Amino acid sequence: MSREKPTGNDYLFEIAVFLATSAQGCLNEPPLYGPFRLLDALSKLADLPDYAPGLAHDPFLKEIKAIVDDKKFLVMYDVEGFRRAIDEIVEKFAKELKSRYLAPK
Amino acid sequence: MDIFQAVKGRRSIRRYKSDVVPKELIEKILDAGRWAPSGGNIQPWKFIVISDRNLLELIRKVSPGYLGETPLAILVCSDKEKAYKVGGALGRDYLSVSDCSMAVENMLLVAYALGLGTCVVKSFARVAVKEMLEIPEDIEPELLVIVGYPAYEPKPPVRIPLREIAYLNKYGQNFPTNLEE
Repeated sequence: MSREKPTGNDYLFEIAVFLATSAQGCLNEPPLYGPFRLLDALSKLADLPDYAPGLAHDPFLKEIKAIVDDKKFLVMYDVEGFRRAIDEIVEKFAKELKSRYLAPK
Repeated sequence: MDIFQAVKGRRSIRRYKSDVVPKELIEKILDAGRWAPSGGNIQPWKFIVISDRNLLELIRKVSPGYLGETPLAILVCSDKEKAYKVGGALGRDYLSVSDCSMAVENMLLVAYALGLGTCVVKSFARVAVKEMLEIPEDIEPELLVIVGYPAYEPKPPVRIPLREIAYLNKYGQNFPTNLEE
């Protein structure tokens, strides 16, 4: 559904509300909802440059977001698949960290 | 629509079209809710229809489980004071919740039969939702039903085979069935 595009500050505030309400929910919700919410937050964060002028899109984060959005709902019906997806994402982050910060100058 | 077709075809929908849900359909969904079974006939339910776009957006913001954007949501609440008066502690603590759950299932099935998609959300910030919708002290938000026209058709989820969950005459004694997945 279309809605008025939020400003960067509004979008950041929206993420903050999501994190706070997720934290409250995680006190009593099924434990697997914790990683699910974190992935959802990651997906939302990756969209921040759409709303905040001055922030450039990071192609790597866009790729990660696509994986997250494709696989996050595995938590509902395929827990092992969900775990593998998180492993895959973290492995990609590790490789990206190495290429960004350990690559020969 | 055949009842079994609705039971087996309904899915939790997480992406919706923006089309508005007509009032007549909303009424049918609410009507289905109030005809649910009710322990002691307490009928503890209260239904808050949320169609105001700005309000809906605020509710979505404080509901981490509200995935996707919908033109409509229905908050199913229980009247704890009424449930206690009629059903005692059992009514307040258990029947009010199970009654609301049964009302929600009725609503989901009727919505599906009307061509609508739904998803039941429990992951909402209760305090924030009470504040935004001005819900009195004794009224408890139980389940948020988000409603709209589905933007996709999800695959059926896996269900535990009947032979693993159904017993005959005593717990653990196999219920003979040829019904597979």
